[in-house]
Amino acid sequence: MTRAPRLALAALVALAAALPAVPAAAQEQVRVRAQVDRFEMGEGEDLRLVVEVIGPSLDKVGPADMGDLGDFDISGGPSVSTRYQWVNGVSTASKSWTYMLTPRKTGKLAVPELSLLVGGRTYRTRAIGVTVLPRGTVRSPHQPPPARPAPGGPREPARSRVPLPPVALRVRAEIDVKTAYVGQQITLKVVLAAQTEVLNAGPPENPEFPGFWAEEIKLPERPEVRRVVYDEEPWTEITLMKRALFPTTAGTLTIPPVAWQIQVRRRSSDPLESFFFTPTETVTRRSDPMTVNVLPLPAAGRPAGFSGAVGRFDLAVTADRDMARVNDAIGLKVRVSGEGTLGAAGPPVLPEIADFKRFEPKVTSSASVVGDRMRSEKVWDYVVIPLAPGVQTIPAISFSFFDPHDRQYHAVGSRPLAVKVDRAEAGAVAGLPAVAQSDVRLLRRDIRHLKQATGGLVDRSRPFYRSPLFVLLVLLPFVADAGLWAWARTRDTSPAAARSRRERRARSVARRRLREARRAMAPATARAFYASVAQAMTDYVGDKFGLPGAGLTQPRIEEMLETHGAPEDLRAAFHRTLETCDFARFAPSSSGEAEMRQALREAEETLVGLERSLNR
Amino acid sequence: MITWRRITTGVLAALLAAAILGPEWRAAAPDGRTPDELFAAGNAAYEEERYDDAVAAYQKVLGFGVTDPRVLYNLGNAHFRLGRLGPAILNYERALRLDPSDREARDNLELSRGLIRDRVGEPELQYPIRVVKETLEAIPTPSIAWVFLVCVWAAAAAAGAIPLAGSWIRRRLLGYATVALGLLALTAGASLLYRGRQDAAPIAIVLEDRIDVRSGPGEENTILFTVHEGTRVELRNNLERWVQVSLPNGLSGWVPVAALEKV
Repeated sequence: MTRAPRLALAALVALAAALPAVPAAAQEQVRVRAQVDRFEMGEGEDLRLVVEVIGPSLDKVGPADMGDLGDFDISGGPSVSTRYQWVNGVSTASKSWTYMLTPRKTGKLAVPELSLLVGGRTYRTRAIGVTVLPRGTVRSPHQPPPARPAPGGPREPARSRVPLPPVALRVRAEIDVKTAYVGQQITLKVVLAAQTEVLNAGPPENPEFPGFWAEEIKLPERPEVRRVVYDEEPWTEITLMKRALFPTTAGTLTIPPVAWQIQVRRRSSDPLESFFFTPTETVTRRSDPMTVNVLPLPAAGRPAGFSGAVGRFDLAVTADRDMARVNDAIGLKVRVSGEGTLGAAGPPVLPEIADFKRFEPKVTSSASVVGDRMRSEKVWDYVVIPLAPGVQTIPAISFSFFDPHDRQYHAVGSRPLAVKVDRAEAGAVAGLPAVAQSDVRLLRRDIRHLKQATGGLVDRSRPFYRSPLFVLLVLLPFVADAGLWAWARTRDTSPAAARSRRERRARSVARRRLREARRAMAPATARAFYASVAQAMTDYVGDKFGLPGAGLTQPRIEEMLETHGAPEDLRAAFHRTLETCDFARFAPSSSGEAEMRQALREAEETLVGLERSLNR
Repeated sequence: MITWRRITTGVLAALLAAAILGPEWRAAAPDGRTPDELFAAGNAAYEEERYDDAVAAYQKVLGFGVTDPRVLYNLGNAHFRLGRLGPAILNYERALRLDPSDREARDNLELSRGLIRDRVGEPELQYPIRVVKETLEAIPTPSIAWVFLVCVWAAAAAAGAIPLAGSWIRRRLLGYATVALGLLALTAGASLLYRGRQDAAPIAIVLEDRIDVRSGPGEENTILFTVHEGTRVELRNNLERWVQVSLPNGLSGWVPVAALEKV
């Protein structure tokens, strides 16, 4: 190896050995520090924390790790600022992050050590002790609390900067009423009071008001600035926000604090800084929470059709025409307007309109703020179609609301609107029915009317069917029947009745005997045949005249028949037949079948003749 | 000696006097006004929306012993206008007991029942039973009683004529007529019995805003369910100041007697 290359290698080795020392030297000049604007503060106030890195270069500098701030929360920031200085040909740069911290509790708290990564190396600030005094023991905002310089450390600058005095700002919320009814407007006003120049202000997020329906009240484009004096010191007041709050439920409701970030101009102690830069600071202020006693709407006197409107309202009902034809559409506009909100209010009480067909209304609503008071308007556009000709009336419509000023319910009503309805056009009549038919609808239900007693009142507590007379009348026919049947039975069992019964049955008995004789009409049974014929004839006379048949002789028969008017030829026939039978009974061989038939025929004819002559 | 002629004359005279003088209450109004006049005054008060006065007048009429369904109906209407659904339903029920064919009372009762708090479902009857029941309930009880009486008399007359009939065919025809009329009388009698049981059913109406129905007769017993004003309950058993009630859906329990009024 030649000499020259050896020298170059030695130089490279030396350079390589020297390289790590260069950043180390640079890092030796890096300083980090944390500063607070005060070491004693009041509850609810914000603490201003500045984390600063000072070094020759600001490359590879990251913000502090703010993940764990102990008993503090970040309520604002960070705002970042960078400065460069040239002193004796040496440049120095500093970068600072400004945070607003809110203590979580009172007492002696500490902003913990914060770590920053600068040039790949971690630096830590020192912890800072802060005393937080309870509310009420805090000095007023325009009397800055005593501040003491932060304790310096080896890594902190030799010359500590004097902390700036606290910003004299406060945010105040006001409401116009402390007690309100559900639905009554409560006007919330958030006011900023400042003793410093305010550059900008805005809520960190959309404020929320649980339990209220909030409506924004727009502020004038040029904010109104007022000069006021508090504790003999001049302040400037600006209205930051107005809201119309409508409680939706009864009870004690809380309007939560409203937080605002306010950017103000600060005067630096460094004249050069003040001259070249516009140092600003963003601080966060909160209003105090407020409670509102919300009363429910009174139940006494609440109208039937009340739908929840609270305020003062007027009602206007108009029809777009007062003359129409059947089946023409008529626009009916029901407009409710006034001070208050109608957001949840239902439509006015629109009674059923007979002979009109009604469609669901189109609802439009609007709201505006006049003099901080919410004015609402709601319009129900109905379309009604007359179904029958004549002067039809759209009845009065009423709308009820609760007025919180006099604490009473009120009802406003419209006048009935008369609409003259003509029949449909002639062409329509020719082709179609002029009147669209519809079912007869029951508009509303009610009890039937009273009854009159024109014929006088009648006591029906003891009805006839529960009286003893009724029972008597029911039992009476059974008793009568029983008596009748008993009488009939007695009548039927008497000798006269028996004789009469024999007389009635005489003919049928004789016919039965003759049938028996006909069955025995044969030479072998001639004796029985003639006996039956003779018995039929003698029993007939016995039954007819109530005599025992066995003891009847021909003279007795002749006497009875003659007495009762039997003709002579019949009497002769009777005796002849009887003699024929007697003869044949004792000499049956002399009688053939022809003779028997002849005897039977004669007996029948004789009995028929006698029946006729004796019944006459 | 009293002859039949004198007895007949006396009975006729008594009937004539009763017809001329009318019932006892017609002449017995203590404040000089007859029940008819009080009824008219109640109607006039009702028309003038003085419902309290109307109630007082109708109750006076009832106090005289004049239980006319029209008085009960109008009393129910006056209570209804005063918002007292329990007494309104009670009086409609009473009016319907006296005159089940009163359609107005039935409509008002239905309307009132639709406004009370409790809705108690009743077991649904099968088609033929329902028709028979509705038909029976539509006929006034006195009409059924008269039909029953006429049928009994007709059947008895036919039966009584049987032994008097000369021929057997007449007797047979009279026998058929007796059976047919007897069946009619039996049906009418059963209907009358059913209506009588219905009219005498131990039904009561709840008159208090709400009553806790308990498992036994006493405040210390468990509350089973709650009924409200106007609900119709059936009375079952009594024990001192408590009564056991049941609802058509089968629920049953004990309530204080004072909370109810029997129809």
